[in-house]
Amino acid sequence: MSTTNNHLQGKAYWRSLEQLAETDEFKDLVKQEFPADAAELTNPVSRRKFLTLMGASMALAGLTSCRRPVEKIIPYVIKPEEITPGKPQYYATNMPFGTESCGLLVESHEGRPTKIEGNRLHPATQGSSNVYMQAEMLNLYDPDRSQVVLRKGRNASWQAYRAAWKKQAKRFTESGGEGLAVLTESFSSPSLMRLAQAFRTKFPQARLVAYDSVSDATIYAGLQAATGALARPDYAFDKARVVLSLDADFLQMDSNDIQYSRDFTSQRKVHTEQDEMNRLYVVEGVFSVTGGMADHRLRIQSGQIGMFAAALAAELGAQGLEIQAPAVSAEIDTGWLKALAADLLANRGASLVVGGRRQRAEVHTLIALINDALGNTGKTVSYSSNPDRMVSNLTAFTELTRDMQAGRITALVLLGGNPVYQAPADLDFAAALEQVPYSVHLSSHVDETSTKTTWHIPRAHFLESWGDVSGYGGAGIIQPLIAPLFDGKNCVDVLSDLISDEATWAYAVVRETWKSLLPAAHFEKNWRQVVHDGFTSLPRETQLSFDHQQAQAAVLAANYYVPAATPESMELVLSASFATYDGRYANNGWMQELPHPITKLTWDNVALMSPATAQQLQVKNESVIKINRAGTELIVPVWVLPGLADNTLNLELGYGRNIGRVATGAGIHVGGLRTLKQMDIASGVTVVKAAGSYKLACVQDYHGLDEEQLAAHAIEERLPSIVRESTLENYRKDPEFAMALAETTDPQSMSMWKEQQYTTGNQWGMAIDLSACTGCSACTIACQSENNIPVIGKDEVSRGRDMSWIRLDRYFSGEVDDPEMIFQPVACQQCEMAPCENVCPVAATTHSSEGLNEMAYNRCIGTRYCANNCPYKVRRFNFFNFSKDMPEIVQMAMNPDVTIRFRGVMEKCTYCIQRINVAKIGAKNEGRDLADGDVVVACQQACPTNAIAFGNILDPESEVSRIKSRNRDYALLGELNLQPRTTYTARLRNPNPAIAAPGEHYV
Amino acid sequence: MAQIFPKWTNKAPLYVLLGAILTLVIIVGLVWYYASPWYTDVGYRPVQPVPYSHKLHAGDLGLDCRFCHTGVETSPVAGIPPTQTCMNCHNMIKTDSDKLAPIRDSYKNETHLRWIRVHKLPDYVYFDHSAHITAGVGCATCHGNIASMEVVAQNQPLSMGWCLTCHRDPSNFLRPPSEITNMTWTAPADQAEFAANQIERLKIKPPVTDCTGCHR
Repeated sequence: MSTTNNHLQGKAYWRSLEQLAETDEFKDLVKQEFPADAAELTNPVSRRKFLTLMGASMALAGLTSCRRPVEKIIPYVIKPEEITPGKPQYYATNMPFGTESCGLLVESHEGRPTKIEGNRLHPATQGSSNVYMQAEMLNLYDPDRSQVVLRKGRNASWQAYRAAWKKQAKRFTESGGEGLAVLTESFSSPSLMRLAQAFRTKFPQARLVAYDSVSDATIYAGLQAATGALARPDYAFDKARVVLSLDADFLQMDSNDIQYSRDFTSQRKVHTEQDEMNRLYVVEGVFSVTGGMADHRLRIQSGQIGMFAAALAAELGAQGLEIQAPAVSAEIDTGWLKALAADLLANRGASLVVGGRRQRAEVHTLIALINDALGNTGKTVSYSSNPDRMVSNLTAFTELTRDMQAGRITALVLLGGNPVYQAPADLDFAAALEQVPYSVHLSSHVDETSTKTTWHIPRAHFLESWGDVSGYGGAGIIQPLIAPLFDGKNCVDVLSDLISDEATWAYAVVRETWKSLLPAAHFEKNWRQVVHDGFTSLPRETQLSFDHQQAQAAVLAANYYVPAATPESMELVLSASFATYDGRYANNGWMQELPHPITKLTWDNVALMSPATAQQLQVKNESVIKINRAGTELIVPVWVLPGLADNTLNLELGYGRNIGRVATGAGIHVGGLRTLKQMDIASGVTVVKAAGSYKLACVQDYHGLDEEQLAAHAIEERLPSIVRESTLENYRKDPEFAMALAETTDPQSMSMWKEQQYTTGNQWGMAIDLSACTGCSACTIACQSENNIPVIGKDEVSRGRDMSWIRLDRYFSGEVDDPEMIFQPVACQQCEMAPCENVCPVAATTHSSEGLNEMAYNRCIGTRYCANNCPYKVRRFNFFNFSKDMPEIVQMAMNPDVTIRFRGVMEKCTYCIQRINVAKIGAKNEGRDLADGDVVVACQQACPTNAIAFGNILDPESEVSRIKSRNRDYALLGELNLQPRTTYTARLRNPNPAIAAPGEHYV
Repeated sequence: MAQIFPKWTNKAPLYVLLGAILTLVIIVGLVWYYASPWYTDVGYRPVQPVPYSHKLHAGDLGLDCRFCHTGVETSPVAGIPPTQTCMNCHNMIKTDSDKLAPIRDSYKNETHLRWIRVHKLPDYVYFDHSAHITAGVGCATCHGNIASMEVVAQNQPLSMGWCLTCHRDPSNFLRPPSEITNMTWTAPADQAEFAANQIERLKIKPPVTDCTGCHR
């Protein structure tokens, strides 16, 4: 390899700091295909933490000596008209997520929902999905969900709860609700808002407060200063030529990420060298996937972002823009700032500045002001209010808690949420709750809060209940796919019961609401249409005008100065967890085991810090530190992540919850470090190294593509040909750069025999656009859900046995302190000349006439030769029967069209062969040929940026052929002459020529 | 001192060894046979919870298979009819028959009938009825002449080798769409010509060496 690559030049890439440093641990790790002890085979079960999966072992019951197991067929008594056994059905519904919502299309097999996709008719999701949408499937079938109404921890019933409430209600009806309070999560729902208003009418003295530990409250509040209302910014990334993100992670963690990802990357899909491309500047203190997409990334402490915005405003003013900057001075790279300001000015009306939700309200006012001064209002950003929206309000929540503490609240109803876990530590919500004599908690699990309330009511999943949502582009209905598994109630049920003397039904409540929303004529028809479509473009949102003067005045009145963090007084950024969000996915095995896109850690949260900070604290990965914030101490493990600002620690919320078999023991609860004044970005934190270490399960250095080349220099030479990228400018100069990065040979001249020709029928292929891949991981979870991939637990993951079929490789390049990041999803490449096939002694892996590299699980005897011979390292081995101990309820999440794999069997990406077969048979039955787009594979369907194309490569008109015809299309390890069916479009960045990128040389 | 062991015991180890080898060979042979394509479930005829007679309904009365097995043309599974389908007729006919008591109970109490599966494929095989019907494979080709069976029995091996005989060369097993449910259809003299035509017209290309055609 080194001989062919000697003359090639490219960027230097590295996967982890261990690799860069060539530590002994790294060398040991990569020496083995599957880093594992043989010894633990003797006692596997005791070592595994087990959660999951299925195993339809019931068929084997009762088989002792008979000829074969007797299997029963149990038909319906009265078959529902719309169900044909064996054929899935699809229903549209919506997933509420804070004040946002996602349109879903859910696949159901004989009344059992199995797979969530985006709803094509929904304006935001448009058929795509994100990790949270996909993971809800497992949340529905969580065996640890609470199953019964509890009164002071003892089993009770819904009837008993209602009787108890009726007594309370009588009292409150007389007093007008004095001492009554309802605490909800934030929502955006016409029905809930209607009920909320009815509640306020019935109990005028009662309190109704919303609180979420992760929300857009600061953004709403910041825009209130300029628009006069709680406004939601609607960004039009597809119209922006230049985007500046100030601590915003709009491609992953922030609201409406699916739509923004699609819109943003639509301007980065360069087909030919004539195409244009947008430019992204990111200024942030932590490393986000948005930062990985940046053309220019500036790392400054998160607390300093406001000062950066002020400096930018000043620079824009100096360059002639009508804006008055608040007077602060920050130490910022002035060359960078000047170039950025000039770029924004050159794209007035086609630029966009977005701010992250961790920033304070006044920073968002300033950002909106800059947008307005740049002429972006109404073009790339607009502001809207929504009468159905209830926004998290920390001030109101604080007041409520203080009143509870003072004994002024005598009855508290908690609709969802988990304030004991989520409230800021200095509020001490738990103590306040103890002062409330009558409290009710509606929640999916018996969690931290439930154990402290008088009543606990099991909460129905949104796939089990009626409701509605309202938001971007219209409003939609939440319809149930299945009757409540554990007899749960939802917010509509409980809230309507609070105000009604009669028994209520969520369906009737929602229908009643929609009677006023839909045209009165033909209501039934319109209602059915909305339930069918899931969404309707009902204008619920009002566009707000932007008051420049008011915003300017608010900005000048605010204080933007924040002292910089120092080694003695560090900054602590508390962010929503990629895996568990605010804790709501803590008991979800798929999410816990999904590698964090950047750190590649699973099952834990860690203190992230820059290499310089780590050096200064004399810690390394898996060291342990003691964080002290205003007297609160916490011991957490360390992970060193290049690209973070120095003297900044980043911790994820949502871990350390002992609510179930998955969540228990995963990570550490860090909410105790949050305070009212500094919820998300805390200053004045002291950190010292603590004794001991903490084992973390990181998948970064497993399944590397360069195992046989241990020497760092060899990897360095090779990586630029594995993940290829250039700049738009260089691409225009050298359109064939992607192919020039490695030498490839004519396949026929290399072969020792006449190769099979794939010239007829459907020849499946995939093309992945690295310019559009953000690293969001939606494909990985979609694949897990579609293909019944087991969850194996932290211990197994730490042995390198992770089972995901799609490995999302993350590479760094450039400076150790301030690297660039690039993602490359790698699943089975479906090589035409597959090396795995040649070494299988039992022909369990073979090649199909349609070019697929097939796995016949039942033939596999588990030699693992194929995995050893796979240069892409995409084969996964079932070391144990991971599905055996799966609770029956979790089995319901399994896709009946895919085999459950047993112990000792190799598995890997099949290009979703079940979907191919269903599409082929469907077309046959309809008497037509397969058309492009008939087969949509799971990862392709989920991808919010449409980075994945799949189809017949022999059809020159197919989307995949069109993308493969790009001159940046290249095969991974193409020099091995394996003729993979998956190819990649080399990534392009679009740096500003006025800014010299530090220490990089592109081809 | 007398010999403890008589002389013939000298050969005992040899006999034991031979016996062991023989036992081993028999065991291996039995397992081999059990796992081989020669061992099939042909003739499997369990007693069903309701003495339903295909011979009476499909044979003598001439009900079409699809009257009850409604999914066969559109779904991977043909489907076992719901109790309601039985009651469509039997709320008028033979309303007091003892044999129909389980049906009436099921309908009245909304309890499910539990039929015993006769034609069973392994879980890793994904057979699709609709694809075979579309291609023109008749019911009787795999199920035998159901219309002549008082109690349904397995008629064909349903082994992989048996599947492949047709997948390799379907021409002997194709019939016109109008004859799909005909239990007594026999191939006409010009079958080869007809089959060639149908294969071309419907683009029939059953997976032969593509494992994932059936295993996924």
